[in-house]
Amino acid sequence: MVGPILEVVDVHFAYPDGTQALAGMSLTIERGSKVVFLGPNGAGKTTLFLQLNGILRPSQGVVRFDGNDLRYDRRSLMELRKNVGIVFQDPDSQIFSASVLQDISFGPFNLGMSEEEVRGRVQGALAAVGIESIADRPTHFLSLGQKKRVAIAGVLAMEPQVIIFDEPTSSLDPKTAKQLLILLDDISRDGKTVVISTHDVDIAYSWADRVYVLESGRVADAGTPQEIFLDEAMLERVDLTQPWIVDVWRELRDNGYLPPNALLPRTKSALLALIRSRLCHSFRITDLVSERAAINERG
Amino acid sequence: MIHIDQYAYANRLRAVHPGEKLAFAAITAGICLASPSLIGQLAILMTMAAATVAIVGIPWRFYLKLMLVPAAFLLAGIVTVAVSFSSQPDPGLHGIDLWGFAVGIRDRDFVVASSLVARSLGTVSCLYFLSLSTPMVEIIGVLKRCRVPAVLVELMTIIYRFIFVLMETTRQIHTAQVSRLGYHSLSASYRDLGQLTSCLFHRSMLKSQMLFVTLSSRCYSGEIRVLEPRRRLSLRRGLLIGGIDAVLLAVALATRGWQRW
Ligand SMILES: Nc1ncnc2c1ncn2[C@@H]1O[C@H](COP(=O)(O)OP(=O)(O)OP(=O)(O)O)[C@@H](O)[C@H]1O
Ligand SMILES: [Mg+2]
Repeated sequence: MVGPILEVVDVHFAYPDGTQALAGMSLTIERGSKVVFLGPNGAGKTTLFLQLNGILRPSQGVVRFDGNDLRYDRRSLMELRKNVGIVFQDPDSQIFSASVLQDISFGPFNLGMSEEEVRGRVQGALAAVGIESIADRPTHFLSLGQKKRVAIAGVLAMEPQVIIFDEPTSSLDPKTAKQLLILLDDISRDGKTVVISTHDVDIAYSWADRVYVLESGRVADAGTPQEIFLDEAMLERVDLTQPWIVDVWRELRDNGYLPPNALLPRTKSALLALIRSRLCHSFRITDLVSERAAINERG
Repeated sequence: MIHIDQYAYANRLRAVHPGEKLAFAAITAGICLASPSLIGQLAILMTMAAATVAIVGIPWRFYLKLMLVPAAFLLAGIVTVAVSFSSQPDPGLHGIDLWGFAVGIRDRDFVVASSLVARSLGTVSCLYFLSLSTPMVEIIGVLKRCRVPAVLVELMTIIYRFIFVLMETTRQIHTAQVSRLGYHSLSASYRDLGQLTSCLFHRSMLKSQMLFVTLSSRCYSGEIRVLEPRRRLSLRRGLLIGGIDAVLLAVALATRGWQRW
């Protein structure tokens, strides 16, 4: 099943205090894809996500889910939120209960399930995010990484088709962040559409199928990670740096260590493999040094 | 507060049905409040303290410290009840003479004051037994099953959770202030405390708005339903509770007349 699952068409939105947070934003999210939103603080990422979930309503333009314009009556909103879940940036504002189990069970109960079904969903979600062992602990004694997992489980338990993560890796240590990305991959492999926002260009580059760059409530650029991160002028304009993989690759290519038509690798291991393969075919620095010594000796 | 909560989640009675613990604490507290006898109240205090330390498994040092908290308030309270002044020499007043005033304690007041202390500490010991052995979430669950209105139950759930969020926020703001030389003098302390309070209020408002948004995004529709842990009621423990409370009640009634000197 391919085709767009969410569409945003020329959406405008201003907060009650007059801040124009979205100013004519248009984009499409493909079913089953992994989408990353980049953009400076205040670009409108969080506001966009709240639109996708029907929490906020565009003052102009439309949001579509599954090809249908969003309607904002209670029943339609319930149906939408059942299918589009958001994991918010701050788990403390999402976890409302002191009990892990209770918090995760909240969403499934709202879907009208029986207690038995809810227990099943909760167990499944706990297992999916790997926190069975802390299910019995109070939420206020959990670490930030654990709280994020609880928040994710709370949304996963509802089994939405699209899961949106607002800055999932912010303020996590590198190891926890890495585990979280693996978890996101698992969720994506289950056939879900996964949307995240981040300020980390390396994550965006290596993880995404498609990248959107937002700026001042508009889409500044969109494309595959390779397309986005080779557009230096655009990156400069929105104050984004290049992922280190692109940096290194470009440096090697521009200095002739890689052929001009070398493909841009996506991951660290792919880049290292590329470098290793080139080293086999070309000279080695040690050869160069000994050649030089020989020349010097001859005078 | 934090420690009480930690014990509530990790104690030897954790797996016991919360209803049993709540019933035990509530009935015993009732007996203590209604008990006409000092001996009865002391017996309750001793029983509950023993149960909390020996059965729930709370270290006795920590328990004593907890008991000192209400004791400090009590001390301030009973002084006004127990101590009397008199401008004439009064044979009923056991005490000292201070510049022509007799300051001391009357027999009757002593009885009232000691019964006040015993009654308060006895009831507090029941409360401590409950709060050290049972997580708040489970207590709330029992209240819910007892048909306490849903609004109250939901409020309790959320308030309890956000006490901790509020404490954490307070700590963060306080650290931010202190790291920039806040509270360095008395007048600065007043000002900084004021700022802390207003900042806290503001953030709480934002948090509550945010909570509504996050709940809504999970299909909140005005009612919070959650899973309750599955715990078995035990007949044996029920009988034990009944037995202990019957004995305590009997003690209270049997010793009714003893304290009239
Ligand atoms: N509740 C609100 N009331 C008024 N203005 C708001 C509110 N929330 C956000 N804004 C404003 O809307 C604009 C877009 O904010 P938004 O939170 O969507 O940005 P963002 O891309 O998520 O930024 P960040 O990276 O900092 O999370 C900003 O100018 C912000 O100040
Ligand atoms: Mg944001």
